[in-house]
Amino acid sequence: MPIAEQGYTHWEGRLDTHRKPWRPIARLGIRLAFRRKFFKFVLGMAFLPALIFSAGVYISERIDDFREMIRNADRFLNINPDFFKAYYTADYLLFWMLIIMVLAGAGLIADDLRHNALQLYFARPLRKRDYLQGKLFTLSFFLLLLTLVPGLLFIVLKLIFSGSFKLLADYPWLPFSIAGWSFVAAGFFSLYTLALSSLSRNRRYASILLIAVYFLSDIFFGIFFGIFRDPTFALLSIKSNLQQVAAALLGAKPPFAVPWGYSAAVLAALAVAAGWILNRKVKGTEVIK
Amino acid sequence: MNIELRDIQFSYGPVRALTGVSVSIGEGACGLLGPNGAGKSTLLRILLGFLRADRGEGQVLGHDIRKDPYAIRRLVGYMPEDDCLIPGMDAVTFTSYFGELAGMPRQEAMKRAHDVLYYAGLGEARYRMLETYSAGMKQRLKLAQALVHDPKLLFLDEPTSNLDPQGRVEILDLIKDISSKKEIQVLISSHILTDIEHTCASVVILNKGAVAAQGELATLRQIDFSLYEIRIKGEGEPFIRALREADCRVEETEDRVLKVYLPSGFDRRELFRTAGRMNVQIRHFVKSRTSLEDLFARTVGVD
Repeated sequence: MPIAEQGYTHWEGRLDTHRKPWRPIARLGIRLAFRRKFFKFVLGMAFLPALIFSAGVYISERIDDFREMIRNADRFLNINPDFFKAYYTADYLLFWMLIIMVLAGAGLIADDLRHNALQLYFARPLRKRDYLQGKLFTLSFFLLLLTLVPGLLFIVLKLIFSGSFKLLADYPWLPFSIAGWSFVAAGFFSLYTLALSSLSRNRRYASILLIAVYFLSDIFFGIFFGIFRDPTFALLSIKSNLQQVAAALLGAKPPFAVPWGYSAAVLAALAVAAGWILNRKVKGTEVIK
Repeated sequence: MNIELRDIQFSYGPVRALTGVSVSIGEGACGLLGPNGAGKSTLLRILLGFLRADRGEGQVLGHDIRKDPYAIRRLVGYMPEDDCLIPGMDAVTFTSYFGELAGMPRQEAMKRAHDVLYYAGLGEARYRMLETYSAGMKQRLKLAQALVHDPKLLFLDEPTSNLDPQGRVEILDLIKDISSKKEIQVLISSHILTDIEHTCASVVILNKGAVAAQGELATLRQIDFSLYEIRIKGEGEPFIRALREADCRVEETEDRVLKVYLPSGFDRRELFRTAGRMNVQIRHFVKSRTSLEDLFARTVGVD
């Protein structure tokens, strides 16, 4: 192959020292996720609950059009915190969020470890914080698409279809609760995914880990709850803890008779553990002692 | 000086990797030479701030290696030894991505990526997925990503590993071109002596984590060694033994030429006196140019 055909030329520009280096990392992560097989299909599937709930908002305000279907009820659906709780704590939504994490996130660090890309990243003026921020933003982007965007959309649709601000007058804190829960869920799932991704150099193993930890925690809860009939065992389950905190933040009744603060503490502890793992595993060079 | 290190010490747990390394590296291309495990890659990683020296201090392009690693990385391009890529990307996206991470504006990085890929000989293959690249193409790609932000200093870690002879020559020519005409200083870590000899004017030889020799290649060849090639007639063994007892290093080549390294201060006429004493005739006596291989063998103590 011919070399130096054009010759080397110096670059005349100046490097930006006050930039946000996590941006290109996040942008690349999002772009590569969309290139993965089945990702668009999975993302579409994950939006199904949002579509159904949006239809629910519409139906709740167009009750006359559906009089035949709901003869004795004055309301087909009540749009209140329980409505939002039903959306955010649905097993279906959490399952598809997990699958999106598997497709978009399992390889985010595992692939970099496998292909020795970390030393290229850290040969740039890049802090570990910048690298992790970029990766976290990639995952949070997809998770917020499934949590924050539909939540706010439901409120907007409700305001449009009802033609009044009654929902916001009755529950003025609701948008903040939705935003709060969306960021908690996105932050937790992103940290959980990145930590498990950093534990393996193989994206498949990381995917298995992501699914196994999530479902095994729920299976253990089911087993212990079946034996002891004690709802405290809900603290063993990632899914149950997420449902507890979601319900509490949305002002609805938590599904299990356990203080939701305990669930929040469990999630916080898991997030701290994930942060610790990431700090240990993400390095510019692998040092074998 | 581009690189100035004083008394650098580093250990991987109980294993001492570098001991009291003090080097000064100036303009041009410099070779970092040493056998496997000598500490070359560790030294490069300390210079980049990947590893923190247990002791000692140093500067790269005027920036402290402990306090200011990010400023150093802005000015330095690094080509690692291992294969590095991000799956699912083509070469242009890959190269421009690392340009962006270095602080280049997005469009500039993309434009520059095309330029350096052409320069590295990947112009035709720049839209191919990286997973389909051969070993040689991956080496070129690593060089391109190291050059994309137009660094002042290039760290090349084993740049010719995994390359076929033709690919090796092409990469070495590129490195020579960069270091000689493009105002980019180059530090090449390698254990392949001919690579260093082909590209570098100065050399730092590491052995067992310590500096065994450093300086301009030409000077090192002249000062430290006097090498003579001798052909003799007569019984060679007693003559060779006598030279070795006089602290000369003697190697016999396949075509029965004796390569005699004289220690500094050794009078070459003493060779003839010894030959006379041992009843040996010297039929051929030529002062040889010390190759890097000779220098390396002498300093590191291996044949």
